[in-house]
Amino acid sequence: MAYAFPEEVLEHVFSFLSCDKDRNSVSLVCKSWYELERWSRHRVFIGNCYAASPEILIRRFPEVRALEMKGKPHFADFNLVPEGWGAYVYPWIVAMSTAYPLLEEIRLKRMVVSDECLVLISKSFKNFKVLVLTSCEGFTADGLASIAANCRNLRELDLKESDMDDISGQWLSHFPDSYTSLVSLNISCLLSEVVFSTLERLIARSPNLRILRLNRSVPLEKLPNLLRRAPQLVELGVGSYTHEVRNDTFSNLVSAFSALKQIRDLSGFWDVAPAYLPAIYPLCSGITSLNLSYGTIQSPELINIVSQCSNLQRLWVLDHIEDSGLEAVAMSCKDLQELRVFPSEPYRVEPNVSLTEQGLVSVSHGCTKLQSVLYFCRRMSNAALVSIARNRPNLIRFRLCILEPRVPDYLTNQPLDSGFGAIVEICKDLQRLSLSGLLTDQCFKYIGTYAKKLEMLSIAFAGDSDLGLHHVLSGCHSLRKLEIRDSPFGDKALLANAAKLETMRSLWMSNCPVSFGACKLLGQKMPRLNVEVIDERGPPESRPQECPVEKLYIYRTVAGRRRDFPGYVCTINDDSISPVRFSG
Amino acid sequence: MSSSTEPQPEKKIHLRSSDGESFEIGEVVALESVTIKHMIEDGCADTIIPLPNVTAKILSKVIEYCSRHVAVAEGGVALGERVVDDELKAFDKEFVNVDQHTLFELILAANYLNIKNLLDLTCQTVADSIKDKSVEEVRKIFNIENDYTEEEEEEIRKEYAWAFK
Repeated sequence: MAYAFPEEVLEHVFSFLSCDKDRNSVSLVCKSWYELERWSRHRVFIGNCYAASPEILIRRFPEVRALEMKGKPHFADFNLVPEGWGAYVYPWIVAMSTAYPLLEEIRLKRMVVSDECLVLISKSFKNFKVLVLTSCEGFTADGLASIAANCRNLRELDLKESDMDDISGQWLSHFPDSYTSLVSLNISCLLSEVVFSTLERLIARSPNLRILRLNRSVPLEKLPNLLRRAPQLVELGVGSYTHEVRNDTFSNLVSAFSALKQIRDLSGFWDVAPAYLPAIYPLCSGITSLNLSYGTIQSPELINIVSQCSNLQRLWVLDHIEDSGLEAVAMSCKDLQELRVFPSEPYRVEPNVSLTEQGLVSVSHGCTKLQSVLYFCRRMSNAALVSIARNRPNLIRFRLCILEPRVPDYLTNQPLDSGFGAIVEICKDLQRLSLSGLLTDQCFKYIGTYAKKLEMLSIAFAGDSDLGLHHVLSGCHSLRKLEIRDSPFGDKALLANAAKLETMRSLWMSNCPVSFGACKLLGQKMPRLNVEVIDERGPPESRPQECPVEKLYIYRTVAGRRRDFPGYVCTINDDSISPVRFSG
Repeated sequence: MSSSTEPQPEKKIHLRSSDGESFEIGEVVALESVTIKHMIEDGCADTIIPLPNVTAKILSKVIEYCSRHVAVAEGGVALGERVVDDELKAFDKEFVNVDQHTLFELILAANYLNIKNLLDLTCQTVADSIKDKSVEEVRKIFNIENDYTEEEEEEIRKEYAWAFK
């Protein structure tokens, strides 16, 4: 007996399913459920903008209220994706401006967002509430002014890590006096000055403001004026943290900070004057997230701070913390889940600070809840990696960046194969891994054998031969994203594992010996993959087929070949190779 | 409208289930159902209200739910919101701890009788039973036959995994 639930009842049941995976199971149950579900899906995530298209999105889900989308591959963060490659959000905004008048939220990562996009957003969606642009580029103050002026219901404006060169702070004055709904504002990447009084007035009329991340130009002595108007803040990014040492500035700061009873997250701190750091001590015990990676703070001061952060869950810091500082973290921050240590002088060959593998070993030992690590350092040993793995079998993300390529175990001069092997063997839930140091194919054999839950792998200057790549592609059953640079992986492994590529979101390979001939073969064999050859030297046909391509980006798609590619991109599909246009 | 200064005895509403059983409940409890509320307003409630879509077994449970919620809401005014909340949460949890058939019947009854919080509770419970299940398992729960061809199913799976993930 089948249950004849009325449609509105089923829809009501579906409304309690927030997870995409569950909603997708529901759509596969039967055709009527598919129909019902698609009309009630309001939140959509698209991991690769070129894997779908605006038409496909709108055809399937007619009532979207919130879209999250990603564009360029991750290695774009390291300037490996040339200018003009793509990831333009404009066609999506145009299509949604008519299809989704009720759209409320747009979250984009690594996409090109022009002023036209921002103007269109501000004019098309009357109930627009959330705009998050992470690592995006292409917009100016004009576009932001349009958002400020027209989005009466805007709650969140978050421009984290977006390219905001040459954008003045004037656009903030375009928020009308009647606008009072701001909940979250992140302008930390704005390089230029803001008019302080405009900012102050905006904050003063935003009673719901919870998140405020200021930019560097906001001076320390003016910070208390802002904080006094927003004692309800939960997340705060201060601006520049320096001033000539003055008692009244210090005491103003202390009293302003102490009024922040709900503060949980601190960041900012460019240009730090150590004398002012004690002003944040009273906040430390309540802080769960601390980002001190923008400014230089020496180890003793960092130790003073972290020793008081007994509830800290996330710490981002520069390598000035040194091994001694990380020992303090290990002793004091027992709830720590995520640690990121960034290099203060990455291009310097000789170490400028005393940060070694020991710091990470200490934290792995003392912080039992540690799940996520990003660690830049100059030396590592297999013994240390084995210790870390044994200490923390619950690691989920492990990204190790030894600054110099191909550096061996500093104690034994051996490759770091066995160390990483221990990581993947012991940390059974590992989802993300970044490798560095001297590594042979053996390391990849371990990864293929043990890293069954691994979803994202980053490889640089590693391996000996195609066998390395073959181990990964044939063994890592959960792999979704693979990015490789400067490693000796080529045609054989790629072609032998062609089918695997349809089970992954994307593969990036740059400066690897993959020939144009192999790319053509792959494109012809796998018509549902977009095989993009990125080569700024000119059309690949002008070189022998065996010649390796500069960069290769392969991704599965239901949208077919994209049409908005620049001249240095050659896309391969079916039997045809797209006409290669030389960019001028 | 009465001119008496004495408090009126609470008006009773009479309901009859689909299988002929009669139920007498206080008006306040009856008003939890928007469907019945409209009938009362339309003047249909002076005689017995027949509910052809609800069996006695389910109707008695619905009445139990509404009575409890009304009683806690009234009594809890003095105790404060949080106590009321905890007590109701415990009751609700136990209330939906029934076999699937009963749960589905309760959903249909809550929908027909338009009782919002009961509908939310029962739908949430069913949604919880769907979470993390495979497609086949969901089909079994609802006893639904798959009307997709293999190709159609594959196409949808692919679109989800490739585009919307």
